[in-house]
Amino acid sequence: MTEVAALEIAGLRKTFGGVVALAGVDITVPLDQILGIVGPNGSGKTTLFNVVTGVYRPTAGRVVWQGEDITGRPSYEIARKGLVRTFQQAMSFKGLSVQENVRIAWEHRRAVRKSRSAQWASPQAILGFVGLAGHERDVAGSLPFGNLRRLGLAVALAADPMLLLLDEPGAGLNDRETAELAELIRRLPGMGIGVCLIDHDMTLMHALCSRLVVLDFGSKIAEGPTAEVLNDAKVVEVYLGSEL
Amino acid sequence: MSSNGDPGYGTHPLPGPPPQAGEGNSLRSRQNLPPPSRGRAGVGAADARGSRETVVAAAVLVLVLVGVPWLNPGYRFLSVAISTGTVAITLYGLALLFGQAGIMSVGHAALMGVGAYTAAILSMRLGMGLWSALPFSMFMAALAAALIGLPALRVSGHHFVIITYAFCTLLAIVLTNGGSFTGGATGLDVEPVGTVLGINMDRLRNYYLLVIAALLASMLATYLISASGYGRTLRSIRENEPLARAVGINTGLHKVGAFMMSGAFAGAAGIFQAYYLRHISPTLYGGLPSLYIAMSVMLGGARTLYGPLGGAIIVNFLPEILNIDPVDSRIAYGAGLVAVILLLPRGMVDGLIGLYRWAARQRA
Repeated sequence: MTEVAALEIAGLRKTFGGVVALAGVDITVPLDQILGIVGPNGSGKTTLFNVVTGVYRPTAGRVVWQGEDITGRPSYEIARKGLVRTFQQAMSFKGLSVQENVRIAWEHRRAVRKSRSAQWASPQAILGFVGLAGHERDVAGSLPFGNLRRLGLAVALAADPMLLLLDEPGAGLNDRETAELAELIRRLPGMGIGVCLIDHDMTLMHALCSRLVVLDFGSKIAEGPTAEVLNDAKVVEVYLGSEL
Repeated sequence: MSSNGDPGYGTHPLPGPPPQAGEGNSLRSRQNLPPPSRGRAGVGAADARGSRETVVAAAVLVLVLVGVPWLNPGYRFLSVAISTGTVAITLYGLALLFGQAGIMSVGHAALMGVGAYTAAILSMRLGMGLWSALPFSMFMAALAAALIGLPALRVSGHHFVIITYAFCTLLAIVLTNGGSFTGGATGLDVEPVGTVLGINMDRLRNYYLLVIAALLASMLATYLISASGYGRTLRSIRENEPLARAVGINTGLHKVGAFMMSGAFAGAAGIFQAYYLRHISPTLYGGLPSLYIAMSVMLGGARTLYGPLGGAIIVNFLPEILNIDPVDSRIAYGAGLVAVILLLPRGMVDGLIGLYRWAARQRA
C-alpha cells in the first residue's frame, strides 16, 4: 500500500490551565484515503483540528505539513498552504449571499496550485458540485441547515485545499442529507483532495473512512483499518459502549 | 469592480435575515443586515429598472449638490454646507470601516485633527499650500490609524471602541501641550487657500464646490472599494472573522489596512476643514466631535451609499439651518439613534428610500 504522508502530527500536546485536551498525540494523515477521527465528547478531536490549523498554539509537539514544520503558524497562512478546515457549527458569512461566500474564499485561494490543475474553474462550478446551484443569491443566514452544511463545504473547497479537515460534517443532518454529503466527500480524494474527518456518526465513518484513529481523554487509544478498529475491545468499551 | 453586477451597496431595501439578538458583539450585530447584493429572483427587468434608478438618483444628487451656489443660498447656508461636506468625507471613511469591515471607531475626529494639524504645521513651517499638503495630511492620518490599530485591533468590539476614544483624549492633551509647534490651547492659524487653476478658492462659493468635489470623490471611492474584491474581504471579517482566517485571509492585516484607509479619508476631511475654518484648535478634535461622527454614520446608515451623507445632513446641517436649540437636538439624536437601531437597521436614508418606494407602489 502506497501511503502519501501529507500531514504528520507528532507528540502534540495542548493543555488549557490544568485541563489536558491533547496528551501527546501522533497521527499521520495520508492524502489518498479518508482518515476518520472518532472519540467521545471532550476527547480532544476538535482541539486537534484547532491546533493543527493554527487556531491554538500547541503546548508541545509538532505539526509537519508536506515536510514543512507549520507548528504555531497563523491559521490564514496554514490555509494558504492547502490545509483547510470546516467548522462543527456550520459557519458561513451569514449576512452575505451564497455566491459572495464562495467568492471570498475563491479570491484568497492558494496561488501555489499553479502546477496542479484546478478542480473547478469558478466559484459557480463549486456551488454546482455541492448542489447549491440556483441558490447563488440567497442570503447564507437564511439557508436551511442542510444547505448551510453544503455551503460550508463549498467555501472550504473554494479555498483550494489539498487536505480538507472536516469537523463533524454530518452533525445536525438527517439520514438522507448525511448520505448525500457522504457521497460528495467520497469523491474528493479522487479529485486530489485529501480528507480527514471527525464525526460521531458511525455509519458515516464506516461508509467513508478506510482508517480510523480513536481518541480518548486526549490520547490515541487505537488506530487501524476501520473494521478492525470498530471491533477492538478497548474502543468498544470507552466509546461505543457494550453493544456494537 | 465586481463582474457580476453585485455592488457593495444595494439601493434596494431587502427582506433579509432578521437581526439576531445576542450574537457577536452588539456594535457589530446592531446593523446586522441583509447582504449588499439584491437577493431577488426576478432578475432582468427589475435589475434594469434598478440600475436606471441608481443612475438617476446619482445624477440628481450631483446636480443638487453642485447647483446649490446658484440658488442664492446666502453666506450662512454655504458655510454650514461646507462644514457638513467636510464631516461627510470623514463619514465615508468611517462607513468603510464600520459598514464593510464591521469595526466601529469613536476616534475619527482625532484622525481629522491629525490631517488638519499636519496641514497647518506644513503651511506654517514650510509654506506648503492645500494641494501639496493634502497627501501628507492623508498619510499622517493613516499613519496615526496604523499606530492605534496595530496594538488596538488585536482586541475586538467594545475594547477597540474605547481605545479609539482614549486616542481622541490623548491627542487633545498632546496638542494642548505642544507649545508653539501646535499652538497650545489657542491652536494654529491657517493661510488662505489662494488660487487654484485660476479660480479664487477664498470665495466661499468656489470653496464649497471644491469640498463638494472632494466629497463626491470620496463617495465614488467608497463605492468602488465596497464593490471590489477588497470590499468583499472586509465584509468577510465583519461577518465571520474565524471563518475568514480559516479560508486564508490575514484578517489582522486587513483590519489595520481598513482602519488606515478610513484614516486617510479623515485626514483629507481634516485639511479641507482646516482651510475652511482658517483656525484650528484642540477642542475641535476631541471626544465629543468623535462621538457625533460615529452617531452620524449610524443614523444615516453605514452600508448604503447615501447613508453617510444623509447622516451628515441630519446631524450637522439641519439643526443649524433650522435653528434648533442644541439641547433639543441632542435629545432628538438620542431618541433618533435608538429608534434607528431598533427600526431601521440600514439607517435613515434607506428608510426614506423604502418609504418613497412604498408611496410609489401605493400610487401605481
